[in-house]
Amino acid sequence: MLSEEFQNSARTLGEALRVTPSVQTYLQAQADCAADHEAAELDNRLLAMYQELVGRQQRGEALQRSEIDAYNTLKSQVHQNPLVRERDTALILVKQTCLEIADELNFPLGMEFAALALAGNV
Amino acid sequence: MNIQTPITTNSELNTSSDQAARELGELLLHTPEYQAFLRGLNAVNNDPEVQKISAEIRSHQNTLRWSPKDAGEHETALTHLEIELEAVQAVQEYRLAEEVVCRLFAEVDAIISQAAGVPFAANARRSGCGCGG
Repeated sequence: MLSEEFQNSARTLGEALRVTPSVQTYLQAQADCAADHEAAELDNRLLAMYQELVGRQQRGEALQRSEIDAYNTLKSQVHQNPLVRERDTALILVKQTCLEIADELNFPLGMEFAALALAGNV
Repeated sequence: MNIQTPITTNSELNTSSDQAARELGELLLHTPEYQAFLRGLNAVNNDPEVQKISAEIRSHQNTLRWSPKDAGEHETALTHLEIELEAVQAVQEYRLAEEVVCRLFAEVDAIISQAAGVPFAANARRSGCGCGG
């Protein structure tokens, strides 16, 4: 269990990240996607198909060429949706903001915080 | 849906989030967990057995890169050397310290991400994929 000092410090950083223009734009775009029936449906179908294919691959099953083609077709269909495209573009800027902030966090550590944190999630 | 959160300007971003990140980095640096991790890393880097095995690993890797003849033989040797390396006490101690730090950082990341509304570490990784999910 993290001490209160750590929790507060991490929360302060998260809150500062949340109010950045890139995260605000992304959250709005994400909300717009979720509120739009077509975009949400496409998104859910793509995610379900991705999870199914990856799951089967991880169980050692070889995927058919036609299944991969079907996935790529759906993926390009999803990315043609303007709301999804807007959200994905916003995500690129979120990544840029997170990288800049992470540089500040990494500096005193001399290591990449994100790599260690992601390894801890496994 | 409108999200009612005040938006900062870029100059405010540089002061508030950068400062918060630096402060958190300093806090993490001084934790006993991170200090143990750094000591472990230092011990591994200075361990003569680790240096010997690492030199052998590099030699096989170079051979594989420049003359991939008998690749199977070199790959088998590499597998054995990697097992040997992981069995060195300094490496085992380092791995334990690393695991503790990774769990600590994952907890910290969960708090940052929850407050931010986006996954932080997944988007802050220099390599690999970041996702908004």
